Amino acid sequence: MIDIWLGLFAGTAFGFVIQRVGATNPQKMALAHLMQEPHIPQFMLLVVIFSATGLFFLDAAGDAVTRVLPISLVGTGLGGVIFGIGWGISGYCPGTCWAAVGEGRMDAIFTLLGGLAGAAAFAHLHESLIPILYMPTNMGQLTLADWFGHPAAALGFLIIFFGVGVWLIGRLWRQQDA
Amino acid sequence: MQPKKQSNAPYWPILPSAIALAGIMLFIFASFGPPASSSGFVTTLKGFFMQFAPEYAAGKAHYRMMPGPGSWLMAFVLGMALGGFVGGRTFSREIEDVPQIWRERFGAGRLKRFGSAFLGGFLILFGARLAGGCTLGLFLSGATQLSLSGLYFGAVIFAVAMLTARLLYKRRRSTS
Repeated sequence: MIDIWLGLFAGTAFGFVIQRVGATNPQKMALAHLMQEPHIPQFMLLVVIFSATGLFFLDAAGDAVTRVLPISLVGTGLGGVIFGIGWGISGYCPGTCWAAVGEGRMDAIFTLLGGLAGAAAFAHLHESLIPILYMPTNMGQLTLADWFGHPAAALGFLIIFFGVGVWLIGRLWRQQDA
Repeated sequence: MQPKKQSNAPYWPILPSAIALAGIMLFIFASFGPPASSSGFVTTLKGFFMQFAPEYAAGKAHYRMMPGPGSWLMAFVLGMALGGFVGGRTFSREIEDVPQIWRERFGAGRLKRFGSAFLGGFLILFGARLAGGCTLGLFLSGATQLSLSGLYFGAVIFAVAMLTARLLYKRRRSTS
């Protein structure tokens, strides 16, 4: 029962913040994809910089529940391609569309319904698709720490990499706006 | 892209917002486990099928691997909607059913926009379930855990969404 209250609290706070920052606005998201609005992509990278740093210490204290998802070259990649097309068309993610429905956006309701249909379609085909698309190129639960040998070095790399990303987005986005 | 109504409330600046959201993510990591949202769709469907076709729900691996309703996941996505509702109610900015950029390219017809929003929703969930997560469950949570799957997925979804938006809105007349 406590899980439900924790989930409801976390979800409400999450939905509120992403509404306030404009991530539930498909207009803003489309402009972000068109490189005319830098704030949403910069925001996402900053979130990772701060949460990865925090998780590093939370993990060191032994308090974190983590679960690294495996990487499958074809499964994760093809899933990403299909996701990217849908994201470009609708301007919503699976998470933002819940918050956008709450905010009162009519088109988000249709994205939510489409999402239920898409999830049901995949769940129906799971047994046929996962063995063909996901498992053959599944390389396991790899992290940057496996590459760098040390978690602190991996975190340092991520912070620099995403920090440069934030800077580059600030330079490149909006400049195409004629 | 100047807003017509000058009374529009400004969105929050990104730096404090990112710190706030990272704090919420850490709260989740400390209390329940990696944050996720596309799984909430599966959880919702599982609840539906458990009610109306229990044998189907029990026979499908994708439903067996997810918790049903009455779980953290279900509460989390409902909380997302609640948070969006509270956010929207306390924020003075006009909401458009058809985004301006879409109107300029495809017209103000709601049917076209709602149909495409449905199609987009279908694709994001189909893709997310194949990859194992979404923007939050795979990219944000994954990259926070330094996972290669999260970074790879993030790079692909950004690149493909940018390309899709470019093709979709190509013939948009210049605003500004």
